[in-house]
Amino acid sequence: MIYGDKKTGVLVQGATGKQGEFHIGLMTAYAKQVGGRGVVAGVTPGKGGKEVHGVPVYNTVREAMRDHDISASVIFVPAAAAADAIMEEAHAGIQTIVAITEHIPVHDSMKAIAYAKMEGCSVIGPNCPGLLSPGEVKMGIMPAGLFLRGNVGVISRSGTLTYEVVDELTRAGIGQSTVVGIGGDPVIGQTFIDVLQRFEKDPQTKAVVLIGEVGGNLEEEGAKSTGLPIVAYIAGVSAPPDKRMGHAGAIVEGGEGDARSKIARLKKMGVPVASRPSEIPAHIRGLFKNHC
Amino acid sequence: MKLREYEAKNVLKEAGIPVPAGFLIKSAEELTLHFGALGEAFVLKAQVDVGGRGKAGGILMAGKADGIKTAKDLFGRQIKGLPVKEILAEQRLDIQHEYYLSITVDRSSRQPLILFTESGGVDIETTAKKHPEKIRKVIANPLMKEIPPFMLRELVGTSPKEIGPIINRLYHVFLEKDALLAEINPLVTTPQGLFAADAKLIVDDNALGRQGFTVNRDLTDREREAEKHGFSYVELDGSIGVIGNGAGLTMSTLDLIEFYGGKAANFLDVGGGAESERVMNAVRLVGSVPSVKVIVVNLLGGITKCDEVAKGIIAANIPQKVIVRLAGTNEAEGRAMLLAKDYEMLDTMDLVVKKAVEVAA
Repeated sequence: MIYGDKKTGVLVQGATGKQGEFHIGLMTAYAKQVGGRGVVAGVTPGKGGKEVHGVPVYNTVREAMRDHDISASVIFVPAAAAADAIMEEAHAGIQTIVAITEHIPVHDSMKAIAYAKMEGCSVIGPNCPGLLSPGEVKMGIMPAGLFLRGNVGVISRSGTLTYEVVDELTRAGIGQSTVVGIGGDPVIGQTFIDVLQRFEKDPQTKAVVLIGEVGGNLEEEGAKSTGLPIVAYIAGVSAPPDKRMGHAGAIVEGGEGDARSKIARLKKMGVPVASRPSEIPAHIRGLFKNHC
Repeated sequence: MKLREYEAKNVLKEAGIPVPAGFLIKSAEELTLHFGALGEAFVLKAQVDVGGRGKAGGILMAGKADGIKTAKDLFGRQIKGLPVKEILAEQRLDIQHEYYLSITVDRSSRQPLILFTESGGVDIETTAKKHPEKIRKVIANPLMKEIPPFMLRELVGTSPKEIGPIINRLYHVFLEKDALLAEINPLVTTPQGLFAADAKLIVDDNALGRQGFTVNRDLTDREREAEKHGFSYVELDGSIGVIGNGAGLTMSTLDLIEFYGGKAANFLDVGGGAESERVMNAVRLVGSVPSVKVIVVNLLGGITKCDEVAKGIIAANIPQKVIVRLAGTNEAEGRAMLLAKDYEMLDTMDLVVKKAVEVAA
């Protein structure tokens, strides 16, 4: 576990919206299944006093913190209000903030993440599926049925592609320690480097899968920063330049951040790179043979 | 979305950054109205939404005598396939030196990155490769409204100190206009002072609404239609249509097509929790592309209901073959519906893509 465990009390902002309500239900069910605390409070301004799946809703994060022991949160509020939600939580002292919301303007994310850093808290996302430590805690929207507890950490810039890879790992009998979706935006709180640092201190994690894509060079920076055995997969080999491939951050700009040069740099560092998702389990087995 | 040069220059002018006297004209004859202000020698610049327009013949030098003729010539040209509908007629500057100045969003530090170099006028990537030591970089804190003097000194060095206030004004533009890139290249010194001779502004697509833009001009017509349906869509030039959920999974599906030797016709991310109507619209949209011979549908997810997806595919009823990989809620029901209509279904993305490549070949 790297960002939380069974004992982590989770708050959900945007608790009474369609998304928030639906996922409070799924997170609560997961907490019951693993015997964890899960979602202990929700926040929606003006909806204080309501309940969602038995979870009490408050008007502000501070009010919720007064009544409950909370160290993490998941944000489902719309893009225009999401940066404010991140700052409200950082100000109230929440340590880990998972921002699921997509389409937040980059300048809002930059400011909210800079503010959260000053308050000493970690932001995962935005535009991410959250994280899941099998058997411990689910903070976000990942489909829990695909996961198996084990020793491989997964860090990814995408959502469904992460589920695809987790599914491949689980089918191959390779369990996961924690799976973190860091988000598809150009500006995100926790990058590969930050999550890898946590995995290094986590005794459960023996190897890590990095799932990257076109845009930027955060994958290479991450791979360079760690001593953990890693396997990488980079999506977007066929992506044309200057086109946004669905994610705001998935764009080859000024001839930089294309998949082929990323893959070449990773290979130069000695990182095995899978050319398709179904090859990842075999690469992991190879790592375990060499390192463990 | 990238702004056109005249739009970017208007933004800079409003922010107090000097730009050359310039006028947007829609016909060659309009030029006569501006001869007085433009002077003897001026530049005609095609306002088209493509990069590298100078090399493609989109920028012409002209004078009072041959101005109309040159403007007519430029209006008659196609720049990288685009017709010239607007020209920026601009005063020619007496340039002494060219600098480069830009502010971008730095992914590593998650903060604004300011770049300045005394060797402007050329491609910054070229300078970065050949003379990285010539580029001065400062990372600013996005919570600051002003660039503090020490940062300006670090950037400007021994260059004219009047550049400092220009950097601060460009930083205001960067913040206020939700810019992903605010660039002045070249920033020039002349006997009349400093001018932004060329300018580039890219506005965050997620902030177009609050910046007052109603359409994203960077998109093609079909891409814009897809946007109305809430799809992320990118046109490519192959024959295999692709529909996926999630940007990463869809990109990965395109890559797999290339891996098996095929060529994708498009990227379409239908989004999470797709209902039958959305799926139908997606299938019809991709089916309407003339070059598409076969469509791969690759949907995986907890929220996506497979029976809804099946309903959508069947309702779309397009002539091309649709090959499906489905996993999620109500998987059995969805499969049964598609099987009853003789759709081909395969269990993994490797298998669906391989099959589609065979069909398209």
